[in-house]
Amino acid sequence: MKARQNGRGSNDAPHVCEGDGLSGRFLAKLVLLNVRASETRYGMTVVAARSSEWMRPVTSQEPASAIIEIDRVSQVFQTSARKDHLALSDISLTIEEGAFVSILGPSGCGKSTLLYIVGGFVSPTSGMAKIKGHAITGPGPDRGPVFQEFALFPWKTVLGNVMYGPRQQGVRAAEAEAQSRALIEMVGLKGFESFYPKELSGGMKQRVALARTLAYHPEVLLMDEPFGALDAHTRTRLQNDLLTIWERDRKTVLFVTHSVDEAVFLSDKVVMMSKSPGRIRQVIDIDLPRPRRRNELLLDPRYQKYVVDIERMFDESDEAGPVS
Amino acid sequence: MMTPAALTKRAAPVLACIGLLAVWQVASLALKNDSFPTAIEAVRAIPDILGDKESLLNILASLRRMAIGFGVAVLVSIPLGLLMGRSRSIAAFFNPLLMVIYPVPKAALMPIIMLWLGVGDVTKTLVIFLGVSLPVIYHSFEGAKAVEEKMLWSGAAMGLSPAQRLVRIVLPAALPEILTGCRTGLVLALITMITSEMIARQSGAGNILFNALDMGQYDTVFAMIIIVGAMGIFLDALFERARARLVRWSEPQFDMPLSFS
Amino acid sequence: MMSRFFSPNVFLGIAPIVLVIAVWQGLVSFGFAPAVLLPPPGFVFGRLLQQLVTFAFQQEIAATLIRLFAGFAIAVVLGVSIGIAAAANPAINAVVRPIVRVLAPLPKVALYPALLLLLGFGHGSKITLVAADALFPILLSTYYGASTVEQKLIWSAMAAGTPRYEILFKVVLPAAMPSILTGCRIGLVISCIVVFLAEMITSTDGLGHALVTAARTFQAVDMFVPLITISLLGLILNGLLGALRSYLLRGFPEA
Ligand SMILES: Nc1ncnc2c1ncn2[C@@H]1O[C@H](COP(=O)(O)OP(=O)(O)OP(=O)(O)O)[C@@H](O)[C@H]1O
Ligand SMILES: [Mg+2]
Repeated sequence: MKARQNGRGSNDAPHVCEGDGLSGRFLAKLVLLNVRASETRYGMTVVAARSSEWMRPVTSQEPASAIIEIDRVSQVFQTSARKDHLALSDISLTIEEGAFVSILGPSGCGKSTLLYIVGGFVSPTSGMAKIKGHAITGPGPDRGPVFQEFALFPWKTVLGNVMYGPRQQGVRAAEAEAQSRALIEMVGLKGFESFYPKELSGGMKQRVALARTLAYHPEVLLMDEPFGALDAHTRTRLQNDLLTIWERDRKTVLFVTHSVDEAVFLSDKVVMMSKSPGRIRQVIDIDLPRPRRRNELLLDPRYQKYVVDIERMFDESDEAGPVS
Repeated sequence: MMTPAALTKRAAPVLACIGLLAVWQVASLALKNDSFPTAIEAVRAIPDILGDKESLLNILASLRRMAIGFGVAVLVSIPLGLLMGRSRSIAAFFNPLLMVIYPVPKAALMPIIMLWLGVGDVTKTLVIFLGVSLPVIYHSFEGAKAVEEKMLWSGAAMGLSPAQRLVRIVLPAALPEILTGCRTGLVLALITMITSEMIARQSGAGNILFNALDMGQYDTVFAMIIIVGAMGIFLDALFERARARLVRWSEPQFDMPLSFS
Repeated sequence: MMSRFFSPNVFLGIAPIVLVIAVWQGLVSFGFAPAVLLPPPGFVFGRLLQQLVTFAFQQEIAATLIRLFAGFAIAVVLGVSIGIAAAANPAINAVVRPIVRVLAPLPKVALYPALLLLLGFGHGSKITLVAADALFPILLSTYYGASTVEQKLIWSAMAAGTPRYEILFKVVLPAAMPSILTGCRIGLVISCIVVFLAEMITSTDGLGHALVTAARTFQAVDMFVPLITISLLGLILNGLLGALRSYLLRGFPEA
């Protein structure tokens, strides 16, 4: 268990708390005290009193329900200038089964890298990631990625793309096709089964990508800015659809995004990262009722507050500049 | 200072040459075929060929024809390709004709052209010219076609005339692609040169090769193969050097014909 | 490669071909060139049609086509497998890369005498020469295509539970297909050219041989016929490959 500091002084920035049970809570209180102190010092309302609701460490629940544990993971990249670049520094994070967790942070802070490590695509320089207590050594069908670039197989039709996973798992062709057709319908693409990806719009492609991943029933969805390349309207619709799907079967979701609204709207928890080196800056519980409806939520002052507070934290880290 | 990794990278083609010669040596020793000399015998025969005044003059004459054919082809083909790339109607005019000519082996025109122009240098140079032009035209065409329209617009806004735009914008922008075409053309020039000499059987490197074959001087045949192969590799390496300097600004690209990365 | 030579402006495109034929006819008609050296176009095309229906000429075409296909097929199999292996495996890459660097710019026709000595004057030496010449464009474009496959396609397949060796066939090969087919197209044109040349240099049958025979007896008409035939064969084969390409790449943008 440790608390890390971010910023120039010990008491002008929020802390990240990881650990278990009581000590975690205790630390969170300390953090709060610090923040309050800074409030008075600078005359700013950095964090309001009610924030005590969400300034909780991530592992405050029983560790038994943890599905993914990231344990002191660091990632060093060799750059062309033969200098080592520390992309992730000592990241520890636990994600509970069925949780919707978003990762927010400035560009280049290592969000994608962290997701790839959980996916098993990249092996960390040090530390380890575990799923259900087993070390992650490579990709597996228990973790399904959805990429910003869609990454659909261009030589397969929509149906072929969605069927790929089940077929790979040894599901018989007829059965795989039936399942896939149902999934395609669920993501709202009925009638497009025999289309090729190039014939679809960006939003449709992303739906196919989601269906393709859902088709092999991963326990964890790893989504890297899946809606980043979409226009605002499509993005909203897909967010709603994703929430509906998620609220139905409650898969664990690790969701990388740039958008504060999106993170707050979707998540149970928002992990805020800071840059250079990539660190977890803060973990914020989003205590909003579910099922969430967009039109209700937008008017909800609690929602607005989360958004405003998180955005403010972003601004602060910008002002602070890269911390090394 | 070179790091060990860079050194290995430099040395790799040399190692590959030595490896290939070694494979040859082993194969010829294993086959014990009279008409398949060992690599060492073939390499030993090289100084004989290069020392022989007539052979040397022959080879130099071949190279001169090749240089002229290549040079003229490049001078004609680049402007044509660029024009085709920038004008739809010029492209529509020339494309079908080029498409018909493309699969015709240019060296196969030798007998016909010989019929008209005799067996002189002109015929052979003309054939090399034909062989080189098509890839150069094709690549210049593709390169010019891919030039971004907006670059030309800003050129026009700066008051450049169409001709100036072609020279000052299209040409440099298409240069990487053009040079790829030239590189293919260079190897094709060598191939066409050798083949046309093999067909005409009058003089030149290809002729030495086949005369030796006819006379059963097998080590000369293989020595000549090494010489021609070395010319190809050397010219290509030389051109690659020049290319890398000329288009230093462009993304390092996989250019098709000849080398990795 | 050549499909982009096509354009909607057909008439403009036919013009220069018509022009060439007209100038050709004109040269003969106005006596600038004696018909012995330059037979009139009508005569040449008539002769072509006449020849195409004779069994002997069909056999020449068949001989050429067999060599062309055999050599090209070997080049495709070797080029694609070596190219993919080199892209997939660093050890193979380290060996293949320098060898290709040396062999690719080597003018393969120069090897022809050696092939004749080793494999005799039959099909073997010509097929090997065709394969050697068509191999490198196919190998290089396969390698290029396979080593630039979008990483995330591979990751997506891996996450869906595809074993490593299957990735090669299920993702890398189809994803590299556009590039492989471009290489094949270049390789095919080269095959046409090389098989003809090999037959011209030494052979007892095939279109190239027909040209040489005609040249020996100064039969200008019969020299044009095999040339036009190989040009037509090239166009037809290229068209077939183009059709195959648009079928195989129907899912790819801009196929
Ligand atoms: N393969 C690589 N080689 C070298 N450096 C890399 C590599 N991948 C990522 N990096 C570096 O690691 C850091 C984190 O990259 P990453 O892609 O994880 O950031 P990110 O948070 O996802 O950014 P964005 O929001 O822009 O997607 C960056 O500084 C990047 O330059
Ligand atoms: Mg990213």
